Amino acid sequence: MMGTRVISTVLTLLAAVVAWPSVAVGQSVYSTIQRVQQRTVKVFGAGGIKRLHSYSTGFVVSSAGHVATVWSHVLDTEELIVVLADGRKIPAKVLGAEPQLDLAVLELKGDDLELSAWDLEADSSDAGPGTRVLGFSNMFRVATGDEMVSVMHGVVAAKAPLTTRSGAFETSYEGTAYIVDAVTNNPGAGGGVLTTRGGRLLGMIGKELRNAASNTWVNYAVPMSELKLPIQQIIAGKYRARQRGPDETDAVARFRPLEFGIVLVPDVLFRTPAFIDRVQPGSAAATAGLQPDDLVLFVNGDLVQSCRVLKQRLGRIDAGGTLKLTVRRGDKLVPVEMPVPDKPLTPAPGQAKTKPPGGSK
Amino acid sequence: MRAVRVPEWRMGRVTGWLSFCLVAAAAGSAVAQDLTVVDLETREEQAFKEASAVVAPAVVRIQTVGGLDRVGRILTGTAATTGVVVSPDGYVISSAFNFVSRPASVLVTLSDGRRFPAKIVANDRARMLTLLKIDVVGLAVPKTAPRDGFRVGQWAIAMGRTYESPLPNLSVGIVSALNRIWGRALQTDAKISPANYGGPLVDIQGRVIGVLVPLSQRQAGQTAGVEWYDSGIGFAIPMVDILGTLPRLKAGEDLLPGLMGITLKPGDVYASAAVIDRVRFNSPAEKAGLKPGDVIVSVDGQAIKRLVQVRHALGNKYAGETITVLVKRGEKSVEQKIELTGKLEPYTPVFLGLLPVRKKLGEASDGVTVRGILPESPASKAMIRPGDRVVQLDDKAVVDLAGLFDAISRRRVGDEVKVHVDRGGAKQMLTARLAVVPSEVPAVLESDVIVAPDPKPADLPKTGRFNQDLTGHDHSFWAYVPETYNPAHGYGLVVWIHPGSDTMEADIHDLWKPICDERGLILVGPRAKEIAGWSLNEAGFIEALVQEMQQKYRIDSQRIVLHSYSDGCRFSFHLAFKYRSLFRGVAASSEPLKIAPPENRPDVRLQFFFSCGDKDNLYRLVQQTRKRLTAMKFPVVLTTVPGEGHSYPPIPVLDAIARWIDMLDRI
Repeated sequence: MMGTRVISTVLTLLAAVVAWPSVAVGQSVYSTIQRVQQRTVKVFGAGGIKRLHSYSTGFVVSSAGHVATVWSHVLDTEELIVVLADGRKIPAKVLGAEPQLDLAVLELKGDDLELSAWDLEADSSDAGPGTRVLGFSNMFRVATGDEMVSVMHGVVAAKAPLTTRSGAFETSYEGTAYIVDAVTNNPGAGGGVLTTRGGRLLGMIGKELRNAASNTWVNYAVPMSELKLPIQQIIAGKYRARQRGPDETDAVARFRPLEFGIVLVPDVLFRTPAFIDRVQPGSAAATAGLQPDDLVLFVNGDLVQSCRVLKQRLGRIDAGGTLKLTVRRGDKLVPVEMPVPDKPLTPAPGQAKTKPPGGSK
Repeated sequence: MRAVRVPEWRMGRVTGWLSFCLVAAAAGSAVAQDLTVVDLETREEQAFKEASAVVAPAVVRIQTVGGLDRVGRILTGTAATTGVVVSPDGYVISSAFNFVSRPASVLVTLSDGRRFPAKIVANDRARMLTLLKIDVVGLAVPKTAPRDGFRVGQWAIAMGRTYESPLPNLSVGIVSALNRIWGRALQTDAKISPANYGGPLVDIQGRVIGVLVPLSQRQAGQTAGVEWYDSGIGFAIPMVDILGTLPRLKAGEDLLPGLMGITLKPGDVYASAAVIDRVRFNSPAEKAGLKPGDVIVSVDGQAIKRLVQVRHALGNKYAGETITVLVKRGEKSVEQKIELTGKLEPYTPVFLGLLPVRKKLGEASDGVTVRGILPESPASKAMIRPGDRVVQLDDKAVVDLAGLFDAISRRRVGDEVKVHVDRGGAKQMLTARLAVVPSEVPAVLESDVIVAPDPKPADLPKTGRFNQDLTGHDHSFWAYVPETYNPAHGYGLVVWIHPGSDTMEADIHDLWKPICDERGLILVGPRAKEIAGWSLNEAGFIEALVQEMQQKYRIDSQRIVLHSYSDGCRFSFHLAFKYRSLFRGVAASSEPLKIAPPENRPDVRLQFFFSCGDKDNLYRLVQQTRKRLTAMKFPVVLTTVPGEGHSYPPIPVLDAIARWIDMLDRI
């Protein structure tokens, strides 16, 4: 009897010791990689011509067989195939998508799949610049046949909005993203995951993207905080796709500089700075104290690069309310405010207004 | 029975404990290892974040307004860039690349959100940095990492402020190499790009190692090195060096790379000794008394055994700095202190005014025989006559034309030279005072028309007008070779670069056929891939085309010229500057020069012939081009076509171009 007690104590202690690592505060990168690999899949579909790759990556979001991946041309086929980490090839179909989040959710065809899956609630996390990360993806289709996807390392470079209002990025996702200090966004990498070294799920690796403002390629991931709910709703069949706002480029220009009494210098260069040539006497601009040779730098807090950008911004402001400008006068930055008329007078294209709508507030 | 069980139980217990201990030890060490790994990873990550947090208050966001949209081949960006505070009274250092568009206005946003307009105070053109000033005091200045602490392999964190975020963006890497770019920068494998140009490279202790800039070891210039962004190769200028130059920059002084004014004899840069070949006129080297033939033995105490070491020694010196050079002149050793300059006087080609006889294939060379004397030239004033054979210039024997070119290229305008000629068997010595190359083409220049060979050789290449594809290139060209082509004579080569949308083949052929026949020229008309116009990367095709013609025909390398009209000229200027040793002249019509020409060189000539109608909108710009090139001492002829607008030059101007080409081999 004593023997049994000792043996059972030993066994209990043994079990505790063996179980300890998973209870430990953090996990080493090796155990993270093992776990995450099990939940990452390779997606094969449409493409393969004219430099459009026919493959991407995905991650398992339910053990019943749902995979989240990036919304792309690869999914545009009846013959979508998902290859699991253990090598099984499963046909799939698109269950739902949200292009504005770069997101699509696939349903794997088959019963009793019992996959190793992410628990989006429990496993997701946020991180800031400097956090060490791992990226998992089938970039360049390096993983052939049954092989596991590739792993890269780096840090979070920044967490910031991808678009500025000047539309610098050409992407459907327009929210805050993880900018990654690692070359994660390669052909086929979209739909892969970004995790911490301890195994926390940070986001989904996005598409190849070029920042038009700096003329450089950007590596980004859509944060899980944006994707969690839509994924769960798509799986539950309750997702309603977002309505896209009215396309701003189609809008007729609502306001022009002249309506505030501002006459800009002739716009002859590609980026003519927005210098004020004249201020019409008695106008809103005159009352606000604007002067000739002032350089308009900010409209409602956003930098104005040129005359063209200033006209675009004014074309989009709403009627009523206040227009806040910051101008450079000599060596000083001078903020001014002026009222925006309630009823914008939108002249027919080509007709210049000569009288500002004075006193309409 | 109990007595029998007790020993068994004891054995089991011992075994049990033993196995427990072993397993526990194994599991324990695995866990301990796991924990150690986790612990180190977490601590390193914490260190990255803390190091960047320490420096972040001194990292500023820079935005620009206005400016050019394209500089050279780079599109300038409009994204925010980065700078580092270097002085509490409002001085910020940044990468010169951030201002390459020459913006109308510069704004600096501090880490606390305050925004200021900034003034550009000065530029360091050797290290590609720009100093800005904003009107504020009491700024935090980061600690500087000392130079003796730099280690290849140490952590290096690159910081920038390009995104709309209160936290700076980071990239983590290591220091990959020290003393790159001729000693100016250290190299890192962190991702360096416009996202962090101008920002700090920080060590794990939160000290600034350097400021990030794009650089290339092969070329200088405002946009050099940008093509390497995010490649794993990035450069930072050590902050200790920047602080050393800060007083001069603050005073508004632009810093330039220091030049001595010598060229070294070409050889294997890694093996040959450093022998001075030429000394530039009025340069610090000339003023210090250095002479061609001197062997540089040491610079600032560092022994020079190989040519390349001279570049390393001078690589990070500024104009205004003084170096000590020890040279060997014959048996003597001479030491000189030399103050480096920022600008050297351009080389001015000299003009004697004699036209050499063109040797036929196989003819022996014993001096240079004169085929003609240009009117009003130093040669005519010295009474040199056609038929004279030049055998010596001052104290140097002249064996062939190449030797005479080289000898004359070492002289200055205004020098008196003694020309020794053989005139009908008798030796004569004539004195000439060298002048500037004239900017006019003489109204008359006789040509020796080449006659067809008799008997006709069996392997004569194609003559007349023909079309051909260039093997190995996806391009075609047309050509005209005089029907009387004689392989014993050297022919000039005119490369016609057509304007966009129109190859002008028929017109050019009809106009140039008689000129080619008269002056012994071969004309090639390459065709651009896209009918819309030339792309600069088709330059390789043109080089290959010229080499192909040189193989098939006997081409006189002194008379290979580019001829272009209107927007074709942009490509022809690019070719002339890119292949300096190939093209001797550019005859451009109705288009100004928009790119910066390289320096004039004594060893390879480059001359220009411009023509433009005075009613052409571009006429004034073409005149400015002539002024600019003349200031750089290139020989330029500008022919105005009165009453004409934007059109291809008329026949009299083409005849002038033909005479100009015929004179390109003048001394």
